[in-house]
Amino acid sequence: MTAKLDLYKLHKAEYVTPKKPALVRTKPAQYLAIGGDGAPGGTRFSACIGALYGAAFTIKMTRKFAGKQDYTVCKLEGQWFFGGDPAAVPKDQWKWKLLIRTPEFIARKDLAAAVETLLKRGKSPEMEEVALETIDEGVCIQMLHVGPYEREHETVALMRSFAEANGLQFSGPHHEIYLSDPRRVPPERLKTIIRLPATKQD
Amino acid sequence: MRICKMHVSAKQTTLRFYKERLLRVLVHIQEHLDEPLALEELARLACLAPYHFHHVFTGMLGESLASHVRRLRLERAATRLKFTEMPVVEIAFEAAYETHEAFSRAFRKAFGLSPAQFRKRNRTSARIQIPSGIHYQHRKRPGSFRAAQPEDKSMNVTIKHLKPMRVAFMRHVGPYNEVGKTWECFTMYLGKEGLLGSGSQFIGISHDDPAVTPPDKTRYDACVTVDGMFRAAGEIGVQVIPGGDYAMLTHFGPYEKLSESYAKLLGQWLPRSGRRLRATPCFEIYLNTPENTAPEDLLTDIHAPLEAK
Repeated sequence: MTAKLDLYKLHKAEYVTPKKPALVRTKPAQYLAIGGDGAPGGTRFSACIGALYGAAFTIKMTRKFAGKQDYTVCKLEGQWFFGGDPAAVPKDQWKWKLLIRTPEFIARKDLAAAVETLLKRGKSPEMEEVALETIDEGVCIQMLHVGPYEREHETVALMRSFAEANGLQFSGPHHEIYLSDPRRVPPERLKTIIRLPATKQD
Repeated sequence: MRICKMHVSAKQTTLRFYKERLLRVLVHIQEHLDEPLALEELARLACLAPYHFHHVFTGMLGESLASHVRRLRLERAATRLKFTEMPVVEIAFEAAYETHEAFSRAFRKAFGLSPAQFRKRNRTSARIQIPSGIHYQHRKRPGSFRAAQPEDKSMNVTIKHLKPMRVAFMRHVGPYNEVGKTWECFTMYLGKEGLLGSGSQFIGISHDDPAVTPPDKTRYDACVTVDGMFRAAGEIGVQVIPGGDYAMLTHFGPYEKLSESYAKLLGQWLPRSGRRLRATPCFEIYLNTPENTAPEDLLTDIHAPLEAK
């Protein structure tokens, strides 16, 4: 039997992040994804997290039960679409897409089977919105943010200066990888990778 | 002011309450050093549930029941060497060692001398230092002991009132360091059935003292919270973890050291808390998983059930 696959370890260079801005080159990656809007922690947001994890665990365990390649369920990630300065947009109007990185060998039929199982279990209708999606971010500026989510703008400011100093500009949605579980870890110790796709300045 | 005073005295009463119960056990052990000691019987003497007893004992005495008995037997052997002419082999046998070599090894470790050397020296103490102050005494009952103080004064215990939790569980019978296999099998089954989600709580209940119960017989329940729709099937049962007050302590680090935190909570914090244990098992909630977490970063919330105030 092959060893358990851990995508974060396999693509280590994309995830090892210092507490200062750095450039990383990412490859296209497949995710389980669900999008929505509303305040983080709100009803819609929580229902989407539930649906996403439900799909992730069910797909993994169904494969494992069938004796197929086992893998670690990756951490929660999120893309945020503020359309400008996040501080200017009320939280309940924030748009986001929640993601869990998933091995390439997971196919749509695996997801469809999991969704069917979960709906039979009486899980919320959000289940049907979970999709498999490949995201290609290319070159990104990345930095580890330690502390409450409310203070991310400080980290982003450092990343922006770094981008400018290197003749780059942000070119894609704000992407976060949640290394800590906010339900367990106090805000000042939360670790989050902030990833911002970048291109050469015009 | 008055409330404050009452509070202190309630705490002292609780400490006395637990000390008296353990003292009964200590007297019994000294009077029956040559008999196999049944955990159930000792727990009964202490009026504690067997699944609580060993944690309270270890925490309050600063040594496990098994090492306590071993130490007393060694102290008795030292006393015999010192004051009698009994042959070493006979003393070794009486101290429950099957061979002279095993006895000599244990003796040297405890006293720094071989049994023969010890016998020749007059002034060596036949006691092994221990904070509880309980030692082997020839034909004398122990009258009191010093309860171990919490090393960590800031032990961060919170009291929570919990609702009953309905859980699916799979029983593991075997060594505690192999529960991972049961978890693998259990979560695989639940996962493929669509029963794992972001709200699932992963809970463990240990029913035995691994120092007393043989490793192939220790029992553990791997539990995951489920909704009312779930029905027991095959190897997977359903139980309800009772609601009520619980004292909670977060254990930081590897699972192998969980029992140290249990002993601190039940044997050091509890007797000084003014609260009493309820006769339902403790449980632990796993906040992360060894699957993607280094052992030193594992977090486990230990819950000890308390009687209502």
